[in-house]
Amino acid sequence: MSNRRSAPGTQRITDEQITELVSKLQQLLPELRNHRSNKASASKVLQETCNYVRSLHKEVDDLSDRLSRLLSTVDDDGPQASIIRSLIN
Amino acid sequence: MSPSQQPTSLNNPAYLKNQFAHRFIRALNNLHHTKTPPHHNYKMYNRSTRVKIAANTAMASVVGSRRAWSRAVLWKIRKLRSRKRVNCHHQEKVSLKRRNPKPKTEDFNNPFGDSSQESKLRELVPGGETLDAVCLMGETANYIKCLVAQVEVMKTLVDLYNPT
Repeated sequence: MSNRRSAPGTQRITDEQITELVSKLQQLLPELRNHRSNKASASKVLQETCNYVRSLHKEVDDLSDRLSRLLSTVDDDGPQASIIRSLIN
Repeated sequence: MSPSQQPTSLNNPAYLKNQFAHRFIRALNNLHHTKTPPHHNYKMYNRSTRVKIAANTAMASVVGSRRAWSRAVLWKIRKLRSRKRVNCHHQEKVSLKRRNPKPKTEDFNNPFGDSSQESKLRELVPGGETLDAVCLMGETANYIKCLVAQVEVMKTLVDLYNPT
Protein backbone atom coordinates (compact mmCIF):
# COMPACT_ATOMS: atom_id res chain seq x y z
CA MET A 1 0.00 0.00 0.00
CA SER A 2 2.87 2.36 0.72
CA ASN A 3 4.11 2.13 -2.84
CA ARG A 4 0.81 3.41 -4.23
CA ARG A 5 1.15 6.97 -5.49
CA SER A 6 -1.92 9.15 -5.25
CA ALA A 7 -2.80 11.49 -8.07
CA PRO A 8 -2.50 15.11 -6.95
CA GLY A 9 -5.75 16.46 -5.53
CA THR A 10 -7.39 13.09 -4.89
CA GLN A 11 -7.68 11.40 -1.52
CA ARG A 12 -6.02 8.12 -0.90
CA ILE A 13 -8.80 5.57 -1.09
CA THR A 14 -8.47 3.11 1.78
CA ASP A 15 -9.23 -0.55 1.44
CA GLU A 16 -11.76 -0.35 4.26
CA GLN A 17 -13.69 2.32 2.40
CA ILE A 18 -13.80 0.13 -0.66
CA THR A 19 -14.94 -3.01 1.15
CA GLU A 20 -17.58 -1.05 3.01
CA LEU A 21 -18.98 0.46 -0.19
CA VAL A 22 -18.84 -2.86 -1.96
CA SER A 23 -20.74 -4.61 0.80
CA LYS A 24 -23.33 -1.83 0.87
CA LEU A 25 -23.82 -2.23 -2.84
CA GLN A 26 -24.00 -5.97 -2.45
CA GLN A 27 -26.92 -5.57 -0.04
CA LEU A 28 -28.92 -3.88 -2.77
CA LEU A 29 -28.40 -6.54 -5.37
CA PRO A 30 -31.02 -9.27 -5.40
CA GLU A 31 -28.60 -11.80 -6.84
CA LEU A 32 -25.94 -11.44 -4.24
CA ARG A 33 -27.94 -10.55 -1.17
CA ASN A 34 -28.22 -14.12 0.02
CA HIS A 35 -24.72 -15.03 -0.90
CA ARG A 36 -23.42 -17.64 1.48
CA SER A 37 -20.10 -15.92 1.98
CA ASN A 38 -20.65 -12.42 3.18
CA LYS A 39 -18.24 -10.84 0.80
CA ALA A 40 -18.34 -11.31 -2.92
CA SER A 41 -15.36 -10.00 -4.80
CA ALA A 42 -15.47 -6.36 -5.82
CA SER A 43 -15.45 -7.13 -9.50
CA LYS A 44 -18.34 -9.57 -9.12
CA VAL A 45 -20.35 -6.94 -7.26
CA LEU A 46 -19.58 -4.39 -9.97
CA GLN A 47 -20.62 -6.80 -12.65
CA GLU A 48 -23.87 -7.66 -10.87
CA THR A 49 -24.50 -3.97 -10.31
CA CYS A 50 -24.18 -3.24 -14.02
CA ASN A 51 -26.50 -6.11 -14.86
CA TYR A 52 -29.01 -5.02 -12.25
CA VAL A 53 -29.07 -1.40 -13.45
CA ARG A 54 -29.51 -2.58 -17.02
CA SER A 55 -32.40 -4.82 -16.05
CA LEU A 56 -34.03 -1.97 -14.12
CA HIS A 57 -33.71 0.31 -17.15
CA LYS A 58 -35.32 -2.36 -19.28
CA GLU A 59 -38.17 -2.69 -16.78
CA VAL A 60 -38.73 1.06 -16.92
CA ASP A 61 -38.83 0.91 -20.71
CA ASP A 62 -41.28 -1.97 -20.67
CA LEU A 63 -43.55 -0.38 -18.04
CA SER A 64 -43.50 2.94 -19.90
CA ASP A 65 -44.58 1.14 -23.02
CA ARG A 66 -47.50 -0.54 -21.26
CA LEU A 67 -48.50 2.64 -19.48
CA SER A 68 -48.51 4.64 -22.70
CA ARG A 69 -50.78 2.06 -24.28
CA LEU A 70 -53.10 1.94 -21.28
CA LEU A 71 -53.23 5.72 -21.11
CA SER A 72 -54.80 5.93 -24.51
CA THR A 73 -57.55 3.49 -23.55
CA VAL A 74 -58.49 5.08 -20.27
CA ASP A 75 -62.02 6.34 -20.14
CA ASP A 76 -62.12 9.80 -18.65
CA ASP A 77 -65.16 9.08 -16.54
CA GLY A 78 -64.18 5.61 -15.46
CA PRO A 79 -63.38 4.54 -11.90
CA GLN A 80 -59.65 4.61 -12.50
CA ALA A 81 -59.74 8.22 -13.56
CA SER A 82 -61.43 9.29 -10.34
CA ILE A 83 -58.87 7.40 -8.30
CA ILE A 84 -56.11 9.14 -10.19
CA ARG A 85 -57.78 12.47 -9.73
CA SER A 86 -58.10 11.95 -5.99
CA LEU A 87 -54.44 11.01 -5.84
CA ILE A 88 -53.41 14.20 -7.55
CA ASN A 89 -55.47 16.51 -5.38
CA MET B 1 -35.74 7.14 14.89
CA SER B 2 -33.37 5.90 12.20
CA PRO B 3 -33.24 7.96 9.01
CA SER B 4 -35.21 5.40 7.05
CA GLN B 5 -38.07 5.52 9.57
CA GLN B 6 -38.50 9.26 9.55
CA PRO B 7 -41.70 9.96 7.62
CA THR B 8 -40.35 12.69 5.38
CA SER B 9 -36.83 11.48 4.84
CA LEU B 10 -35.68 10.58 1.35
CA ASN B 11 -34.14 7.48 2.87
CA ASN B 12 -37.63 6.27 3.66
CA PRO B 13 -38.67 4.22 0.60
CA ALA B 14 -42.38 4.80 1.22
CA TYR B 15 -41.88 8.56 1.20
CA LEU B 16 -39.77 8.31 -1.94
CA LYS B 17 -42.46 6.32 -3.73
CA ASN B 18 -45.14 8.68 -2.56
CA GLN B 19 -43.35 11.77 -3.80
CA PHE B 20 -42.52 10.13 -7.10
CA ALA B 21 -46.08 8.86 -7.63
CA HIS B 22 -47.45 12.34 -7.05
CA ARG B 23 -45.26 14.00 -9.64
CA PHE B 24 -45.42 11.19 -12.15
CA ILE B 25 -49.22 11.00 -12.11
CA ARG B 26 -49.44 14.73 -12.61
CA ALA B 27 -47.09 14.47 -15.60
CA LEU B 28 -49.09 11.55 -17.01
CA ASN B 29 -52.24 13.59 -16.66
CA ASN B 30 -50.68 16.40 -18.68
CA LEU B 31 -49.53 13.94 -21.31
CA HIS B 32 -52.96 12.42 -21.52
CA HIS B 33 -54.88 15.62 -21.89
CA THR B 34 -52.83 17.42 -24.47
CA LYS B 35 -53.46 16.26 -27.98
CA THR B 36 -50.44 18.12 -29.31
CA PRO B 37 -47.06 17.49 -27.71
CA PRO B 38 -46.34 20.01 -24.94
CA HIS B 39 -43.02 21.01 -26.37
CA HIS B 40 -41.95 21.00 -29.98
CA ASN B 41 -38.75 19.16 -29.16
CA TYR B 42 -40.76 16.18 -27.94
CA LYS B 43 -42.42 15.72 -31.32
CA MET B 44 -39.83 13.17 -32.36
CA TYR B 45 -40.59 10.94 -29.40
CA ASN B 46 -43.38 8.45 -29.38
CA ARG B 47 -45.77 8.18 -26.46
CA SER B 48 -43.85 5.43 -24.76
CA THR B 49 -40.65 7.46 -24.70
CA ARG B 50 -42.52 10.48 -23.39
CA VAL B 51 -43.85 8.39 -20.52
CA LYS B 52 -40.34 7.17 -19.78
CA ILE B 53 -38.98 10.72 -19.81
CA ALA B 54 -41.81 11.80 -17.51
CA ALA B 55 -40.98 8.99 -15.09
CA ASN B 56 -37.24 9.63 -15.01
CA THR B 57 -37.77 13.37 -14.68
CA ALA B 58 -40.26 12.91 -11.86
CA MET B 59 -37.87 10.68 -9.93
CA ALA B 60 -34.93 13.02 -10.48
CA SER B 61 -36.96 16.02 -9.36
CA VAL B 62 -37.85 14.29 -6.08
CA VAL B 63 -34.17 13.86 -5.31
CA GLY B 64 -33.45 17.30 -6.71
CA SER B 65 -29.94 18.63 -6.50
CA ARG B 66 -28.86 16.34 -3.67
CA ARG B 67 -27.32 13.76 -5.94
CA ALA B 68 -25.04 13.91 -8.95
CA TRP B 69 -27.20 11.49 -10.93
CA SER B 70 -30.38 13.48 -10.40
CA ARG B 71 -28.62 16.73 -11.29
CA ALA B 72 -27.38 15.10 -14.49
CA VAL B 73 -30.89 13.91 -15.44
CA LEU B 74 -32.48 17.30 -14.74
CA TRP B 75 -29.72 19.08 -16.62
CA LYS B 76 -30.24 16.88 -19.66
CA ILE B 77 -33.98 17.57 -19.64
CA ARG B 78 -33.41 21.29 -19.31
CA LYS B 79 -30.97 21.15 -22.20
CA LEU B 80 -33.49 19.21 -24.26
CA ARG B 81 -36.23 21.74 -23.62
CA SER B 82 -34.13 24.81 -24.33
CA ARG B 83 -32.51 23.44 -27.42
CA LYS B 84 -33.50 25.43 -30.47
CA ARG B 85 -34.67 23.38 -33.40
CA VAL B 86 -31.42 22.21 -34.91
CA ASN B 87 -30.62 19.84 -37.66
CA CYS B 88 -29.70 16.47 -36.15
CA HIS B 89 -26.42 16.48 -38.03
CA HIS B 90 -25.13 19.53 -36.20
CA GLN B 91 -25.39 18.46 -32.59
CA GLU B 92 -22.60 20.02 -30.58
CA LYS B 93 -20.56 17.96 -28.21
CA VAL B 94 -21.55 18.82 -24.67
CA SER B 95 -18.69 19.63 -22.37
CA LEU B 96 -19.19 18.39 -18.86
CA LYS B 97 -17.88 20.13 -15.81
CA ARG B 98 -15.70 17.69 -13.99
CA ARG B 99 -16.44 17.37 -10.31
CA ASN B 100 -13.17 15.60 -9.57
CA PRO B 101 -10.23 15.24 -11.91
CA LYS B 102 -10.73 12.04 -13.81
CA PRO B 103 -8.49 9.46 -12.17
CA LYS B 104 -5.59 8.43 -14.37
CA THR B 105 -5.03 4.72 -14.16
CA GLU B 106 -1.27 5.15 -14.39
CA ASP B 107 -1.13 7.11 -11.19
CA PHE B 108 -2.63 4.64 -8.77
CA ASN B 109 -3.97 1.14 -8.78
CA ASN B 110 -7.59 0.90 -9.66
CA PRO B 111 -9.24 0.04 -6.34
CA PHE B 112 -11.55 -2.40 -8.04
CA GLY B 113 -8.84 -4.07 -10.01
CA ASP B 114 -11.08 -4.17 -13.05
CA SER B 115 -11.58 -0.89 -14.87
CA SER B 116 -13.81 -2.17 -17.67
CA GLN B 117 -16.69 -2.91 -15.30
CA GLU B 118 -16.22 0.46 -13.70
CA SER B 119 -16.41 2.25 -17.04
CA LYS B 120 -19.55 0.28 -17.90
CA LEU B 121 -21.08 1.44 -14.65
CA ARG B 122 -20.15 5.03 -15.45
CA GLU B 123 -22.10 4.77 -18.67
CA LEU B 124 -25.15 3.40 -16.89
CA VAL B 125 -25.40 5.88 -14.04
CA PRO B 126 -26.31 9.41 -15.15
CA GLY B 127 -23.51 11.82 -14.44
CA GLY B 128 -21.17 8.96 -13.69
CA GLU B 129 -18.51 10.04 -16.17
CA THR B 130 -17.24 12.82 -13.95
CA LEU B 131 -17.14 11.04 -10.60
CA ASP B 132 -14.26 9.29 -8.94
CA ALA B 133 -14.57 5.66 -7.90
CA VAL B 134 -15.78 6.28 -4.35
CA CYS B 135 -18.44 8.82 -5.32
CA LEU B 136 -19.53 6.57 -8.16
CA MET B 137 -20.32 3.75 -5.72
CA GLY B 138 -22.38 5.98 -3.47
CA GLU B 139 -24.27 7.47 -6.40
CA THR B 140 -24.94 4.00 -7.81
CA ALA B 141 -26.39 2.81 -4.51
CA ASN B 142 -28.78 5.75 -4.32
CA TYR B 143 -29.62 5.49 -8.03
CA ILE B 144 -30.54 1.82 -7.61
CA LYS B 145 -32.76 2.58 -4.60
CA CYS B 146 -34.60 5.25 -6.57
CA LEU B 147 -34.93 3.09 -9.67
CA VAL B 148 -36.44 0.30 -7.59
CA ALA B 149 -38.96 2.70 -6.07
CA GLN B 150 -39.77 4.07 -9.53
CA VAL B 151 -40.35 0.58 -10.94
CA GLU B 152 -42.60 -0.40 -8.03
CA VAL B 153 -44.81 2.65 -8.47
CA MET B 154 -45.01 2.16 -12.23
CA LYS B 155 -46.02 -1.47 -11.73
CA THR B 156 -48.76 -0.38 -9.34
CA LEU B 157 -50.04 2.12 -11.89
CA VAL B 158 -50.10 -0.47 -14.64
CA ASP B 159 -52.13 -2.75 -12.39
CA LEU B 160 -54.47 0.13 -11.59
CA TYR B 161 -55.09 1.03 -15.19
CA ASN B 162 -55.42 -2.54 -16.34
CA PRO B 163 -59.01 -3.43 -17.01
CA THR B 164 -59.80 -6.64 -15.13
